[in-house]
Amino acid sequence: MKSNTDFQQIERFKEDLDRCTKCGFCMASCPVYREERTEGSVARGKIMLVRALLDGEITADEMAEQLDRCTLCLACTENCPAGTRVPSVVAAARADKVRLKGLSFPYRLVYRWLLPRRRMFGYTLRLASWFQGIFLPRTEGTIRHLSFFLSALGKGRHIPQIAPRFLRQTVPEVNKPPAGVAVKYTVGYFTGCMTDFVFPELGEKIVSFLNRNGVAVVVPRGQGCCGAPVFLGAGDFATGRRMADANVKAFKELDYIITDCATCASAMKDYVRFLADTDERKRDYAAYAGRIKDITEFLVDVLKLPPSAYRVAPEYRGKTVTWHEPCHLGRYLGVREQPRQILKSIPDIKYVEMPDAARCCGMAGTFSINFYELSKKIADKKVASIAATGAGIVVTGCPGCELQLIDGTRRHNMPQKVMHIMELFE
Amino acid sequence: MIDSNIIDRLRRIAGNENVLAAREDLLAYSYDATNTWKHAPDVVVLPVNVAQVSEILRLASENRVPVTPRGGGTNVSGGSVPIKGGIVLCTTRLDRIIEINRANLHAVVEPGVVLQDFNTALARQGLFFPPDPQSFAGCTMGGVVAENSGGPSCLKYGVTRQYVLGLEVVLADGTVVKLGGLTPKNRTGYELAMLFTGSEGTLGVISRIILRLLPAPKASRTIVAAFDDVATAGETVSSIIAGSVLPSKVEFVDNWTFEKFRGLLPDETLDSSQVILLIQVDGLPETVEAETQLVEATCQQNTPWIKVAVDSTEAERYWQARRAHFSDISSRAHTIVNEDVSVPRDKIAEFIRLSQESARRHDVPISFAGHVGDGNFHPVVLTDNRDREHYQRALMCVDEIIETALSLGGVLSGEHGIGLEKQRFLKKALDPAAINIMKKIKDVLDPLHILNPGKIWEEDSKIPLNPFRVNPSG
Ligand SMILES: Cc1cc2nc3c(=O)[nH]c(=O)nc-3n(C[C@H](O)[C@H](O)[C@H](O)COP(=O)(O)OP(=O)(O)OC[C@H]3O[C@@H](n4cnc5c(N)ncnc54)[C@H](O)[C@@H]3O)c2cc1C
Ligand code: SF4
Ligand code: SF4
Repeated sequence: MKSNTDFQQIERFKEDLDRCTKCGFCMASCPVYREERTEGSVARGKIMLVRALLDGEITADEMAEQLDRCTLCLACTENCPAGTRVPSVVAAARADKVRLKGLSFPYRLVYRWLLPRRRMFGYTLRLASWFQGIFLPRTEGTIRHLSFFLSALGKGRHIPQIAPRFLRQTVPEVNKPPAGVAVKYTVGYFTGCMTDFVFPELGEKIVSFLNRNGVAVVVPRGQGCCGAPVFLGAGDFATGRRMADANVKAFKELDYIITDCATCASAMKDYVRFLADTDERKRDYAAYAGRIKDITEFLVDVLKLPPSAYRVAPEYRGKTVTWHEPCHLGRYLGVREQPRQILKSIPDIKYVEMPDAARCCGMAGTFSINFYELSKKIADKKVASIAATGAGIVVTGCPGCELQLIDGTRRHNMPQKVMHIMELFE
Repeated sequence: MIDSNIIDRLRRIAGNENVLAAREDLLAYSYDATNTWKHAPDVVVLPVNVAQVSEILRLASENRVPVTPRGGGTNVSGGSVPIKGGIVLCTTRLDRIIEINRANLHAVVEPGVVLQDFNTALARQGLFFPPDPQSFAGCTMGGVVAENSGGPSCLKYGVTRQYVLGLEVVLADGTVVKLGGLTPKNRTGYELAMLFTGSEGTLGVISRIILRLLPAPKASRTIVAAFDDVATAGETVSSIIAGSVLPSKVEFVDNWTFEKFRGLLPDETLDSSQVILLIQVDGLPETVEAETQLVEATCQQNTPWIKVAVDSTEAERYWQARRAHFSDISSRAHTIVNEDVSVPRDKIAEFIRLSQESARRHDVPISFAGHVGDGNFHPVVLTDNRDREHYQRALMCVDEIIETALSLGGVLSGEHGIGLEKQRFLKKALDPAAINIMKKIKDVLDPLHILNPGKIWEEDSKIPLNPFRVNPSG
């Protein structure tokens, strides 16, 4: 038995580790197992590897790759009669490995240094996008093949261009409803890296949509990356904590923290689960988590908007629309009905539910960088579901999924437009 | 430890990506769903076609390397644990559904197809493969056939054996044999496909399966009833069947695992009852309604608490709670000894009473669940194999329970098979002449004993079979 101090984080999730009874109920639903068909890739196998690590039968290095092959999609937990929260164990084991062994080179640079420095990250991306423009051929529309810094993400992946102007440059810090519209709420908007740097039009739409419906929107300048790739993906809890503290501080005075990114929302709700190392952080992180709302959740449960408030942009009227449910929205945040309720209620579009709408798309940030081939295979199942609906538009609630679905549909030369649900509206 | 040369040759046969030899990979193939057996293989190979299976076996025969076939690794008998190391031949990448034939009501599948995926594909065409081991989300068709699995539905529909029309099997020397055929009636020679059904990977590797299908029942209903005592529940089941209703499922759990039913049944009922029965009837809607009423009326004579699920969503909640039994009971103790005896239906109450007495005598906790409709029971003794003394008492209790089942005219294993877990009882449970015939069959089909060695019969071998043996590094 290794000394417990080596595995502090795993020890914190020991209950989950012990809970697994090896029944195998998680097999049919694990997206990674469905492709790989090896025991090490399924939730049960991961639990057994971590147990073997604690028993000193294998080393952290030996365990690492199998643990990285996990999208943290939570499908196993949903099907587990024992309620084993496998993603917690996986994230904790990654964290202990990082503490013992450190981060490998490109991650060290990006995660420890770049992501926590929001402005610097923006400049680097901008630089990358110039290179992209000069050296790489354009593909259709705004989609380009990207390499260089984003080569980590790239590897031939279809990736949208870095926006010419970031959201923080186009939207003021405080956005009041237009004259004549009474202010019902004042909320904070957590924009997330993707909306800020890649999809700023989405952010602008959300701000004006909220304003029009009587919500004042503050976009605190002090906010940064949610930290998901850092503490969940790479297991760097120390840096993750710094990022969490910055976000908590930035949104201190606001009643609600609205997100358009399910991954950001659930990662931030998980600060308390993974990063709270002191009583003070426990309290702050829990209070922070309680104020986070996905945009659709806010619109349906808090604002209770009538269908007439959702005015579909002219170019999308009459179209057939389907919905991909992000793991982080459905399984993590329990937001399943709200987006569907919106989509079903608007008369201007035809809504069709896709088969296995809640199945993981295979993006999972760092996972899709490390295992792009595997990630593509998982996406192919999703793409087949999309094709089966006959819809012209796929909407979702997470820019990460959006990237993956854009890549998947393009690779298969499918015509579907992929976008965030809020982009449907005027 | 096998020669690295063999691993290289396996890579040439199956391709690099289908051969696993890293320590962490081997460890992942060292266990099944039991918590007593663990032993790592030297190498894992995941063939993608039958030609590879054949070549792998030929190579293993030539070099006398043990080969343990494995599907999902969900068995609870130690069956897929490579207790003598060597090669694990895992079929999970042989996962094509080759044909579903609606007109002829048959399907042809590869062994690595997961039962749940098969069921989903059948449901789309209104078809039905009844055997329903509760591990359907992980077990494979090869495992289902090799264990001759059954589940709740077997009360009305029978076990896997009743649905196997034909098999393609690869023998230990690599010979590929086709057995049986596509038609439900086939009286051509010995029933060799049956020999491999339930053979637990000891006679050959099943590489293709032809199954008989049924049209899916048009309707079904689930009835839940809670009882004060086991005997009354048992009598109720007998009365239902005596009243000419053959439910598709009759399942039973005792109050050890009522927690999973919290929120589904009223707390007062759960707190005051000993047993829950879950009953399902299926067929045409008219029949289902009539049978539901009959079942309800029969239950009412014995208990005040009955509920008919209003729809399939509610019904599925009850069945989910039933499926969680294994997980729930496993979490109640460090080690569980999960038995799998089957007794004639009219002996159920007596069997449970005697087993409870035995548990009391040995001072060990015991829980019961099972497919009470067909008399197949899972008495579970809760213990801790790190506490030698307690574990010994638990094993003694289990011995007595098995003796009890046999003396009541029952059998040692209803569905889980012998594997490693039950081999010490085999001599008690079978006619010595029968064991003799089995061994001769084994000698004919696998003369070098390379296939799943160490399983089913206790060997007079040199390697002691020790449940505590852990050897992850091979
Ligand atoms: C929670 C739980 C509930 C269960 N419920 C039931 C139940 O209701 N009814 C029931 O019958 N069983 C049940 N089981 C036991 C088990 O799941 C079944 O026996 C299942 O059919 C095994 O399938 P598998 O693919 O996991 O096989 P494995 O566990 O991989 O292997 C089982 C045996 O079959 C052999 N084998 C596998 N594939 C092949 C092949 N292609 N050719 C030759 N031999 C092969 C192996 O060598 C091994 O001996 C349950 C298990 C669990 C954990
Ligand atoms: S379903 Fe849960 S208990 Fe069962 S093997 Fe998977 S993680 Fe373990
Ligand atoms: S979180 Fe998803 S990918 Fe990871 S083990 Fe569970 S089901 Fe598999």
